[in-house]
Amino acid sequence: MPNGVSQGEKPTGTGYTNITGAVHVKTIAYFDSSHDMPEEVIDAAGFIPVKIMGDVHKSNDPADQYLPKFFCPAARSWLTEALSRSGDWEGIVFAHGCDATNRHFDVWKLHVQTPFLYWFNSPIKTDAVAARFFRKELERLIAALEKQFGTQVMEECLREALRKSNEVKKRLRELSALRSTKDVSNREYLEIITHCLSSSKDASIAALDSALNEWKSRGPFPAGKRRFYLTGSDITYPEFMDLLDECGIRVVRDDLSLGERYFATSFTETGDPLNAIVDYYMNIPRPATKLSIGGRVDFILKSLEETPVDAVLSQNLKFCEPYAYDSVIVNDEIREKGFRVLHLEREFTPVTDHQVMNRITAFTEML
Amino acid sequence: MNTTTTNKNGHETEKAAETQTRIQTLPHAGDLKNVMLWYFLRGMLATKLPWKKTAWTGAGFPIELLWAYDVFPLHPENMATVAAARKQSQRLIEHAEGMGYSRDLCSYCKTNFGAVDTGIKTTLGGIAKPDFIAITNTICDTHWKWFHIQARKFKVPTFVFDCPSYVSGTDEKTMEGYVDYLVEQFFEFHVFMRKHFGRNFDESKMRMVMEKSDRLCALWNEIYELRKSVPACYSSAETSASFFPLVVLPGVDVGIKFFEKIRDDLKKRVDRGEGTLNTGKEKFRLMYEGIPFWYRMKFMYELAKYDAVVVYEPYTYSFGPRKPLDLNLLDTLRHVARTMLDLPYSYNLEKRIGYFKKVIEEYRLDGVILHENMSCRPSSTGMMDLKEAIQRDCGIPVLILQCDMNDPRAYSEGPVRTRLEGFIELMEENRRRGS
Ligand code: SF4
Ligand code: SF4
Repeated sequence: MPNGVSQGEKPTGTGYTNITGAVHVKTIAYFDSSHDMPEEVIDAAGFIPVKIMGDVHKSNDPADQYLPKFFCPAARSWLTEALSRSGDWEGIVFAHGCDATNRHFDVWKLHVQTPFLYWFNSPIKTDAVAARFFRKELERLIAALEKQFGTQVMEECLREALRKSNEVKKRLRELSALRSTKDVSNREYLEIITHCLSSSKDASIAALDSALNEWKSRGPFPAGKRRFYLTGSDITYPEFMDLLDECGIRVVRDDLSLGERYFATSFTETGDPLNAIVDYYMNIPRPATKLSIGGRVDFILKSLEETPVDAVLSQNLKFCEPYAYDSVIVNDEIREKGFRVLHLEREFTPVTDHQVMNRITAFTEML
Repeated sequence: MNTTTTNKNGHETEKAAETQTRIQTLPHAGDLKNVMLWYFLRGMLATKLPWKKTAWTGAGFPIELLWAYDVFPLHPENMATVAAARKQSQRLIEHAEGMGYSRDLCSYCKTNFGAVDTGIKTTLGGIAKPDFIAITNTICDTHWKWFHIQARKFKVPTFVFDCPSYVSGTDEKTMEGYVDYLVEQFFEFHVFMRKHFGRNFDESKMRMVMEKSDRLCALWNEIYELRKSVPACYSSAETSASFFPLVVLPGVDVGIKFFEKIRDDLKKRVDRGEGTLNTGKEKFRLMYEGIPFWYRMKFMYELAKYDAVVVYEPYTYSFGPRKPLDLNLLDTLRHVARTMLDLPYSYNLEKRIGYFKKVIEEYRLDGVILHENMSCRPSSTGMMDLKEAIQRDCGIPVLILQCDMNDPRAYSEGPVRTRLEGFIELMEENRRRGS
């Protein structure tokens, strides 16, 4: 399913009509290396926010004309996607992320055809000074959207965007919790999240409601499967999740951006909506691209206390530096608490990596 | 005696025999040893005396702030280069990889992880545990990721300046907003120093430090002006070491005296119409972008074999931005913030292209070497566009060398030589076409 067009939606030329018949506006794509981009602002401006996630099935040759091959392949895949698909989007908002992405903005500015390429500087810190800066950045983003598209981001629209975002997150939390009790494949979990990151909030809510009904009626957690916690670089393609299933692993908790980080917390729905956005983004579980390691470890350990697991799988996408830096110390600290941790590096490929499978299988056999 | 070889295209390439053309070092080049000795001895004292405080810091951090608080700056990146020069980096990097750190991570960082874990001597690139860590993300995320990991192990406090990225097309109003954010963090830094070490901010000390720092930078700028002379009076073979005072000593006298001597040596050389090549037969003036191969500094010297000299490096130039002094404290901080956000080493692509073109013209360059550094993704981003813009708009060849500044495993002697010789041929051809 292409980004921006949800199941049940069909292109109308100027926008998309969803299953309820309401006309949706066009899409603005956003680029962030974790969960840094306040998509709710795009939503409130009248556009469907679409996270650029690349396509593992396509060659990165287009991006490789401009970026060396020792850059994170996911980020190269996003450029590849933008080079071919930017015409589908009204614009692109690029959030401050990691070393593999921050300077990419300049390269995109030269080569990606779009009427609106915007840089959003989300801070790496979370103190009061950073929060004030974040709010100013939000105001700057709103002003830029209003100027570019002749629209007005009204307070009610922001409020409504936060409310709907909360609805999505609430349902995702419910779905996520079913992973440890029901027969839900790793792929299904990732796919429902990626669906939410590339669809209107209404379409996401509808899809989540139907998934909830269906998952609740599923059989129990399959005997013989191991319950795992998943951490490390973000996983953007379901084939890796299939591989885990093939190895007898079910991911029941995680701290990924295409995962629990996206829905672990909610927006406050009262008070000033911009402050609510600031609070939310300053308090979501920390990715490796932001300060601090302690925050990451605490979130993982808290989840591990809440949900019993057999082990932790820490994986690193080849050339993904932020998680590679964290992995040694984070994994050591998790091990110190008595958990078993397997760390491995993976390529950006849909093809089954037998070496990775062998390592996982050998590890699970030891449990 | 010059040797003549014929390449596969039938073009003749003139090569000076290795023994003949070489870099002649400046009379006072050796004084750098004394400057380094001063720094290392002071550092040793600072780490031993309980009332002294030390901080680990890195490129892009305003070192003056540390000197103003009487904090001695320890510099893990600098020590990593020492390890490479002393042929220790590979084993330290491999040690860090043995600890679980990926091959793909910055080799400075891994050299440091290895150095700390093995407890290697300072003279070989080791470094003492600091009282705190002070770093910024202005150049790369590696800096704060690496330091944060070490701070967690050492259980010492950390202060990170969060610098927004100044991307291509950023307007002045937005830039001012970024400066505001950094200035607020300067005040946070004062709170941090008071809280952890009971140290108060001394404005007159800060002013004195800034004056000295600017004096050091002014001298570096004078040296860079002299480098415009033809033949080239000072090559990267020397500057890659001699810029050391800018890394850790802005704000103290010792570097100033050294730079004054270097500047005077250069003036004499220029007045006499002499160059850094002993034969005086300078043929190709080059820019080298990126960090040198610290484990193989011979690369810079060997360029002389081709009568080529690197006369400009954005890397060493970046360490010497001027600090205007006729400003009040707040304006000074705003200025420091601006230089943190907008250093030549980390210029955004649009600005970098314009900057390179200007330097190519002013320094009359014949070619550019870009070090596409596998350790350093930030500085390697946009190099292909940079290469294309220079070749297209300046009409000079650009060589991209994919290597690593501290990991000798990424340097292959044969391929580097072959590519370098191809580049020299291109410059020859350019020269022929031009004349
Ligand atoms: S996968 Fe890692 S390197 Fe790539 S964009 Fe994400 S955080 Fe950055
Ligand atoms: S080499 Fe690059 S990545 Fe490594 S510390 Fe220096 S600037 Fe950062």
